[in-house]
Amino acid sequence: MAEEGQVISCHTVEAWEEQLQKGNESKKLMVIDFTASWCGPCRFIAPFLSELAKKLPHVTFLKVDVDELKSVAADWAVEAMPTFMFVKEGNIVDKVVGAKKDELQQTVTKHMAAA
Amino acid sequence: MAVSGFEGFEKRLELHFSGDDPIRVSNLGLRLLEFESVDDVLHAVQCTVVSAVGNRYFDAYVLSESSLFVYPTKIIIKTCGTTQLLKSIRPLLYYANLMGFYLSDCKYTRGSFIFPQSQPFPHTSFEDEVFYIENCLPSRLSHRKASFMPSKKSSSQSHAWHVFTASDDHHHHGHPLSSMDSLSPASSSYTVEVCMTELDRTTAQKFFRRPGDRKSGDAAGREMTENTGIRGINPNAFICDFAFDPCGYSMNGMHGEKYSTVHVTPEEGYSYASFECVGSLAHDRDDFVEVLKKVVQVFRPGNMSVAISCALTAGDDVWTRVINGLEPLGLKCRSCAVDDFPAAGTILFQTFTSRRK
Repeated sequence: MAEEGQVISCHTVEAWEEQLQKGNESKKLMVIDFTASWCGPCRFIAPFLSELAKKLPHVTFLKVDVDELKSVAADWAVEAMPTFMFVKEGNIVDKVVGAKKDELQQTVTKHMAAA
Repeated sequence: MAVSGFEGFEKRLELHFSGDDPIRVSNLGLRLLEFESVDDVLHAVQCTVVSAVGNRYFDAYVLSESSLFVYPTKIIIKTCGTTQLLKSIRPLLYYANLMGFYLSDCKYTRGSFIFPQSQPFPHTSFEDEVFYIENCLPSRLSHRKASFMPSKKSSSQSHAWHVFTASDDHHHHGHPLSSMDSLSPASSSYTVEVCMTELDRTTAQKFFRRPGDRKSGDAAGREMTENTGIRGINPNAFICDFAFDPCGYSMNGMHGEKYSTVHVTPEEGYSYASFECVGSLAHDRDDFVEVLKKVVQVFRPGNMSVAISCALTAGDDVWTRVINGLEPLGLKCRSCAVDDFPAAGTILFQTFTSRRK
């Protein structure tokens, strides 16, 4: 319950896999923010993402640092940042690359609404 | 020509920094600037971040009035309208100094404003701008030059090019700098700044939002990138684009270490588009002209200026290549000017007009 409404950071591969598994089982929309500590645009959008997470507790927001979880970033072919991956029931349903507030908001709304 | 309207012509500032800590300098440097500091600088200039993206080499921001690029030791900021770009210098130097960086090179360039009377101080004249910049710079940057590069007075709309450069002594000590991260004559890197006016009306219409479309500015921008052919200028670049309401377009391209940027003011009477990119004359001497040709094919401007910044010897046949590349597209070269800048290389400035006029 404490995790709802917040962006959950995954610092290990195990934590990441656990969150993915949980998400797939719950059938909730998952928004994964691939970020880097040295990327200004990621810092620019962080507050907006936190606000979105607060407003939409029925969507799971995860954060993955591409240096901490290099293998995961490579598996998901992340090159530019931030990259937001949208996952539902184990499938990637969408992707937003770049710190784009409107596009991020619209994409979350689109996939949240789909049954 | 309209009596007044949005000023598309940009002011461009490029600042290079050196740091005492070689590890910080070579890795992340200025990319570690707090976003609050960046926001503070942009506030001084009166613009805001619209969207942004970063890769392993640099961060690119689309602003309400153009673009900002942050590399580990270099910042490029380009703004249009009536923004007071030079007011970014003092806060940028302040925040960079806090991180242990000090300014080593400064370059300011711009074309000629369509509505010069609308510009606020210090952009009221080139003299005012130079005076203002000089007062912001540490005296250590002792190699300075201001240059006004004219085009022929007889052409109906003469774009002139204004340049101010200032550098410290480090070039004379032969410090090795990365080929992409340097203004020094030793590198083969080039920067090209293209300014276009009197855009073809059919093309210009593509940069107007359709009334009632409920797309985000990001999605509408992506559509414009595809529909106008801008996507094809560098198919390998990742593009961060945005469409303004009711019209106007901006994009930043990222391709490895190289940035590119396009800004469009499509309104009739003061239409304007700019294209800028960097590259290496050693690697893409031929591609560079091909890129210019694609830009012309997208915008079909009535007037165009091309300013190329590069090393002294590298620029040898560049201007002939540009003329030969653009002639078949109906652009006649009206003027060519060259000037050398201490420790900052050569600038070639050419103006073209379309034969259809």
